[in-house]
Amino acid sequence: MTTETTVDVIDKVLGLGPSSPLLALREQRAKLKHLTQTSYVAALHPADPRNFSYAERATLAARMAALWTSQELLTHYRDLATTEGASGDVLSIADPAWKPEDEASRLAVILRHVDLVTKNPKAATRENIEKLYAAGLDDRDIVTLAGIIAFVNYQVLVVAGLKMLRDN
Amino acid sequence: MSDAVHEFTLDALEWHPYVQPVDLQKATPEQLDALKVTPSNTKVSAYVLVLAQETEMLAERSPLFNDIMYSDGGLSRGGRELGALAASFVNHCIYCAQVHANRFIQLEKRPEVVDEIYTNGLEADLGEYDQALFNFGVDLTAHPDNVGVYQFYHLRETGLSDLEILDLIHSVAIFGWANRLMHTLGEPHRKD
Repeated sequence: MTTETTVDVIDKVLGLGPSSPLLALREQRAKLKHLTQTSYVAALHPADPRNFSYAERATLAARMAALWTSQELLTHYRDLATTEGASGDVLSIADPAWKPEDEASRLAVILRHVDLVTKNPKAATRENIEKLYAAGLDDRDIVTLAGIIAFVNYQVLVVAGLKMLRDN
Repeated sequence: MSDAVHEFTLDALEWHPYVQPVDLQKATPEQLDALKVTPSNTKVSAYVLVLAQETEMLAERSPLFNDIMYSDGGLSRGGRELGALAASFVNHCIYCAQVHANRFIQLEKRPEVVDEIYTNGLEADLGEYDQALFNFGVDLTAHPDNVGVYQFYHLRETGLSDLEILDLIHSVAIFGWANRLMHTLGEPHRKD
């Protein structure tokens, strides 16, 4: 992900060139902008991906972007998934309509959690975390998954808000 | 142990995690660094100890959160707290709402704004400025795929600068993040 660490993803997906007034505005919050980008790397391509491969992280992010019809981020994450070598079932994750055949599998449980916490976080309860443990996730896996979901949703909101500023 | 709280409240709360926090006594140097633990600062909340399970993310997230909520200039501190509160009401994060409602009151000395939100929730009837911020926060949180242009113009008509709007967007968005951690990884209990 050599280019991804140097190119600001949000500038890229919004097509903000050097002369863009919105780019200049974002630069007024340069620290925050930088930390948003480093948070992106920490969520999508951390030094130690452990039990969530880079490909899986990218396709989960694509799925969340699709759930919010965030076309710019969806395109970005589909491309990232390909770059990270996603194939087979992992590539299918990006499609919110897709479900694994085995509904009790680790992946199926993870996807139900991703969909719930993305679109309807208020409905999440302790039981949802118990289901993740039952599917074999450990404490760190659960926090990792929560962090990926939380970051991508933050990014979706930032992009949606910035589009209002860009277009109105 | 007191029962979990599932209704919005301004009472002091304590967050109880569903997952195992990092044991501070066994924390790695990377975890201690991300936790900002120093000999003079050894008090770390259960929430942050849970997030320390994933050190690399926590190390970026903490300074990002602080910059969004406390940076100089732009939108007032109270305005940012109102954005946080709007998000937390939509996402039903009882703990986040309690903390940021109280902080709003502390900063703005206008408890009636919080009273109205706690009474009427997303239908709160506020003064023009607060209403514009609150409605935009609710809309962006609930439908980032379909934010009302009307809500956006309302911000402009209220006189917010682009930088202030940018700060509001970030304060709402960072609670799209925080609510999804705090509300899903644990639950609040009333402090005894």
